[in-house]
Parts: sequence; C-alpha cells; structure tokens
Amino acid sequence: MGPLIPNGLISGEWNFVIAIFIGMAFGYILEASGFSSSRKLAGVFYGYDFVVLKVFFTSAVVAAIGLYYMDYLNWVDIAQLYVHPTFLWAAIIGGIIMGIGFISGGFCPGTSFTGAAIGKIDAMAFTIGIMIGIFIFAELFDYIEPLFTGSNMGHITLVDTFGISPYWIILAFTIIAVVAFYFSDFIRSKVKKVFY
Amino acid sequence: MSKRYKTKKFIVKREYQILAVILVLLALGLVLLPKYKKNEGIAPKLFVKNALSTERYISTDLLADKLVNQDPTVLLIDTRTEKEYNDYALPNAINIPLEKLLDEEFESYLDQEAYDVILYSNDNFYADQAWMLGNRLGYKNLYVLKGGLNEWFNTIISPKYPDETMPKEAFELYDFRKAAGMYFGVGAPKSEKKAAPVKKVITVKKKKKRVAEGGC
Repeated sequence: MGPLIPNGLISGEWNFVIAIFIGMAFGYILEASGFSSSRKLAGVFYGYDFVVLKVFFTSAVVAAIGLYYMDYLNWVDIAQLYVHPTFLWAAIIGGIIMGIGFISGGFCPGTSFTGAAIGKIDAMAFTIGIMIGIFIFAELFDYIEPLFTGSNMGHITLVDTFGISPYWIILAFTIIAVVAFYFSDFIRSKVKKVFY
Repeated sequence: MSKRYKTKKFIVKREYQILAVILVLLALGLVLLPKYKKNEGIAPKLFVKNALSTERYISTDLLADKLVNQDPTVLLIDTRTEKEYNDYALPNAINIPLEKLLDEEFESYLDQEAYDVILYSNDNFYADQAWMLGNRLGYKNLYVLKGGLNEWFNTIISPKYPDETMPKEAFELYDFRKAAGMYFGVGAPKSEKKAAPVKKVITVKKKKKRVAEGGC
C-alpha cells in the first residue's frame, strides 16, 4: 500500500502541503517541549539535561519499530522508502562542525528557528550565523567539492553493511537506547542540578 | 491502601521503566514474528489491470517511424532464441532470449528509466510473456511490438498495395511503409509509373536580331 505518494494514493502535489503541516507540527512540538532554550540543548554536553538525547533516540526507535511492523503488515513497502546516501568523510567532518556549533551555540538549526520565533535574541543571532555559514559554504564550494561528493558509499544502511536482519539491528538499538537512557539518568543524578 | 491505589502508584512510579519494557518487547516481537516471503514487485490487482490493458502495444508503423528518425530513446529487445536472432533481427536490437530474461546480466537493460524498451518476438506472444515478467517486477517503460516480426514483415517489408477505393490515408500509409522498407534495405521501388523520359533540350542560341538601322 504505502508509501502513499509514490504509489499514487495521494497525488504528488500534496507533497509540499503535507510537508508544511508536518513542519508546523514539528516546530510546535519542539517549542512546546522546551527545545527552544539553548540551555536544554547544551545540557546534554554538560550532563544536567538529557531530554534531547531521550527524545530523538526514542523517536528514532519508535519510528523504526513502527515502520517495520507496517512493512510486515504490508502497509508500507520499506524498499520504496528513501535512504539518504552516505558520504563518509563529509558526514564525519560535517558532524564535528555541527557538534561544535551545537555546544557553543546551544541550538540545532531546527530549534534555533523555534527560538527565534518566540523572540529569543540568541536564537536570532544563531539563525543569522546559519545564513553566514551557508554563504561561506557556497563561496568555498569549489574547494570543498571533492570532500562533499567524495567517499560516496551509496544508499547504504546498517543492514547492508553488516548483512544482519534489520529486526536484530532494531532490537539491538532499542536495548542500546534503554541502556543510554538509564546511563544518562545516572549521570544526571551525579551532576549538580541546573535550574533554568 | 486499596489494591487499586497500589497498582496505580506502581504505574506512576515506574512509568518510564514500563514504557522501556514495552519498547523492548515490541522490538523483540519483530525478531520473533514468523517470517514470510513477500510478493515481489507490483500488487496483483495492478498487474492484472496492466495485463488487460493494450497500452503496452506499439505498432510496427510507429516503430518504423522511430527507427527511421533514429529516436535515441528506443531500445529494441529480441526475445527469441539466439539462432533466430542471428538469422534476422531488427536493426540495433539486443538479443535476450525469454528463458534468460531475468538473468542478472540483462537486468540493467530492463530495469531502467532512460529508454523505452520495445520487446518483440515472431508474433507478440513471447514478447508479451517477457513484458508480463518485467511488469510484475515493476519495471517501467516496457512495450511490446504488436504482431511482432510477422507483422513487421507484412507491413514494413512487403506492404500490401491498397485498393483503389481506399481513402487517401491508406495510400499515404502505404507510401510511408514503402519508404520505411527501403530505409531498412529491402523492396527496391518497383517503378509503378515509369517516369516520363526526360526530353533533351537543345538550346539554340538565337542570333541577336539586328536592330533596324537608320530611321530617325
């Protein structure tokens, strides 16, 4: 049956309309759960707040389990879903840059916009920083391009890399998630509480 | 404390542990579910719909037109045996015998979106079977030459001269087929009408008339 748009159950024109509504819902939930505060995001690094880790890890695990149940019931064809290609070194370096920005700025791109929307000045500064970063990236693209397009490993997933059944990978990740949550709670109990 | 209150308190206290256990159980369920082989390719209903539709057919005239105009999007695939292919094949056709159709080496010819693949065989039966196998797997842009090589022979190689009472279009089609046949290197034009012999023109230079001399 699914995915709905590639299989023509919903026409392609709806793609962006649905995307806008999902984006609004995403932004709302980010704001409502307090992600528009830079202290919350920096808390993961300093060890006084692990909500970000918990929320995103949970959503990933829930989505994976849900999708594979839907695939099992033939509601969604997993093979038709888009898998983002892996550019290994670009991802590693980009991840480091993003991580530094995350700690120093206290926002990720999504939360910076929610922060800016509710009028936080640091979030607005962060969004301007994003624009400057995009500009620099675009201007230096000729030099970065070999890194940007190099080491392309294609549309691979862990299933392809390890050759294990996806179900076992999901189970392993779920257990890792639960252990990580427990461990993060343990760290938080040892760290001095920060109220904000 | 009532028992109900106790369980409620337990749930509230252990909320996150219970949720974590549910998550792990659900993931475990995926591993433990009995596995079954899924249908490969498109849904059966859609397949029947496609199979009943005649959209896949392409006429010999259209194919001839595409070949004459050297349409770069056409990829001809001959589904007959290798021997038949070597005896006669359409220009630039690739031979993929029906029994080897799903071999890995030929997959890239069929499972692609760059070309319009036109399958043909002697009639359209082998090609239809090949089309069904491909369509079932969800391959796009597969077509079948209606009537196959027999039809090709009857229409392009040796077209029938239309009756005199037939409409103008029939004659135009005949002319097209004849010309296409010539393009494919057969059927030198039978001179139905002998061209009128060209008359030799001998130009005779006329001498300039003399202008009358004298006068006013």
